[in-house]
Amino acid sequence: MDASLFFLLNMGYGVLTLALVALGLAVIFGLLGVMNMAHGEFIAMGAYSAYAAQSAGLPLFVSLPAAALVTGAVGWLIEATVVRHLYKRPFDTLLATWGISILLREGIKLAFGVDYKSVVEPVSGSTGVLGIDYPNYRIAVMAALLVCFFLLFLWYRKSHASARVRAMIANPELAAIVGINTKRLASLAFVIGAASAGIAGAMLAPLVQIEPYMGINYLLQSFFVLVVGGLGSFHGLFIGSGVIGGVASTASAAFGGTGGYVTLLLISILFLWLKPEGLYAGR
Amino acid sequence: MERRDFLKASLIAGISTALPRQVFAQSDTLKLGFLFPKSGPAAIFGPSSETCIKLGVSQINAAGGILGRQIEAFTGDAGGAPSDTVQAAQRMWRSNGIVALIGQHDSASRAAVIGSIHGQIPYIFTALSEGGFCQPGLYALGETPQQQLGPVIPYLAKAKGASKWYLVGNDYDWPRKSNDIAKPMIKASGGKIVGEEYLPFNVNNFDTTLSKIRDSGADAVFITLVGSASVGFNRAYASFGLDKQALRLGTLIEENTLAGIGAENSKNLFSSVGYFDALDTPGALAFRAPYYKTFGKDAPVLNTASEGLYEGLLFVKAVFGKAGSTDPKAFAAAAEGATYEGPRGQVTMKGRFVNSNVYLATAEGAAFKIIESFQNVDPGTVCTN
Repeated sequence: MDASLFFLLNMGYGVLTLALVALGLAVIFGLLGVMNMAHGEFIAMGAYSAYAAQSAGLPLFVSLPAAALVTGAVGWLIEATVVRHLYKRPFDTLLATWGISILLREGIKLAFGVDYKSVVEPVSGSTGVLGIDYPNYRIAVMAALLVCFFLLFLWYRKSHASARVRAMIANPELAAIVGINTKRLASLAFVIGAASAGIAGAMLAPLVQIEPYMGINYLLQSFFVLVVGGLGSFHGLFIGSGVIGGVASTASAAFGGTGGYVTLLLISILFLWLKPEGLYAGR
Repeated sequence: MERRDFLKASLIAGISTALPRQVFAQSDTLKLGFLFPKSGPAAIFGPSSETCIKLGVSQINAAGGILGRQIEAFTGDAGGAPSDTVQAAQRMWRSNGIVALIGQHDSASRAAVIGSIHGQIPYIFTALSEGGFCQPGLYALGETPQQQLGPVIPYLAKAKGASKWYLVGNDYDWPRKSNDIAKPMIKASGGKIVGEEYLPFNVNNFDTTLSKIRDSGADAVFITLVGSASVGFNRAYASFGLDKQALRLGTLIEENTLAGIGAENSKNLFSSVGYFDALDTPGALAFRAPYYKTFGKDAPVLNTASEGLYEGLLFVKAVFGKAGSTDPKAFAAAAEGATYEGPRGQVTMKGRFVNSNVYLATAEGAAFKIIESFQNVDPGTVCTN
């Protein structure tokens, strides 16, 4: 009983954080058709923002808006200077954002050095959940994510903004004609994607290793999620996170770490091969 | 000495007295090559490696150099693919004319480099390693698992009651061989293995492994995860409160890794190796004091990896001095039994591996505290070829 509850909590944590990590990539790909290879570096910038906030003596919750501001601003700059000119040229955006990722990584090295940074958990200790001890900060992260995703879901379904976004995706020319400022909307979508990656980095910072190369793993994981869930839809994001997170926990419990990772790769390859649209093709 | 050489030498000696010292130093330096990671995930050791080399070279040069010649240091990057490390080594050898190569990097690069220089110049490998390699011309100064675990596992069994061990490492050579060496030692100490697991480098969620450790009832975890994987694992380990259940022993948890793990996650964590920044033996202080005096309080923190390069210099000085020339054959003969006093204490080469001291430290916050020392520990490998 103990062990399986523990397993379920871990899996829940895995799936929720995976969805959080992949959200920015999903937003930017889903709305703009850009595979943002610098996604991992935006997450890293978020984590380093949390570190900078801690070094300045600020409480961690301040680091969430700070991270969003920093990564959002960098995202805005990148969209305006590079990505904007490459829409509808998917391969070029891939190369350009790959180059940007190297640039950002080197920037992080210059600003913070190559050594590991440690961010302290804002709430420490653990709480007894039905007889087992689970870390408080993880519980807080899971609760916050559940609420955030629920609100996001409602907004996506109901709001006027999301209708415009969907109009823009469905028919950019027509959307422009009926008075939707597609240029501004595209810029906004990129900024939101970048900022959500920054928030993810800041939120996870106390739980993970922080170093200049940390982004690459998050990019890979996010990519797996989108491959399985379907490239660019809100439902697909959760289906993908559920499958990848669930498989990762189950397979590594059964076959060990290496076996678990191989299973993930196999599933992603199978999806790319047999079901390239993913389980939930929103577009 | 051949007549020709004698004439040349006397001629050079004649000129050198007539010329200013610096000109002489530039024209007849003893060139040494250093390989260490400058890029990639291990680049964390780059800055401290550079400062350790600078310190060693300036100290030896100030004391008259090696064989009366001033050292000129060349460096190459060993942080990328082994083939790139080989190119860096070849460049220093063929173009710069180095007479010995000193390196601290991963084992894959070591195998590739020795395969490309074939003992034509001595290659001194200073990083801790799995041991057991015996290519001619390769000299290992770093600690082996026998040294880092041999005295430590029985100590932890006795002093801390470690008896149920869980082994976790990254999935490659060094962790697997380390565990193969650890297992009989654990059994001999009266303990047993309750789990063994290898993780890919790019895993950053350790939940499954941690719940296995939790369920296994382990009271000790031997960690051979490296770099950021070790940092991530140890952070999550503490957040689950496993630090109360089982002690942790690492053989590659050095000062940078500990800083990443963080003060609040380092309870019940042990590390065993030949050098720590916290080591305060006379030999260690003779190295540490000038280091921080030269490079400042905020200098890259000293650690086993970069300290090794400094010892590489001490070793090369001892052996070249004993051999009386830079000839690789003379080097091989002189290396056997060569000894020097370094930061780790006295180091003596036997069969191209060294007997040296090993220290066990425990983490106190984000710093190490030495709790036990083991003198002149046998490396477990003796090359006879």
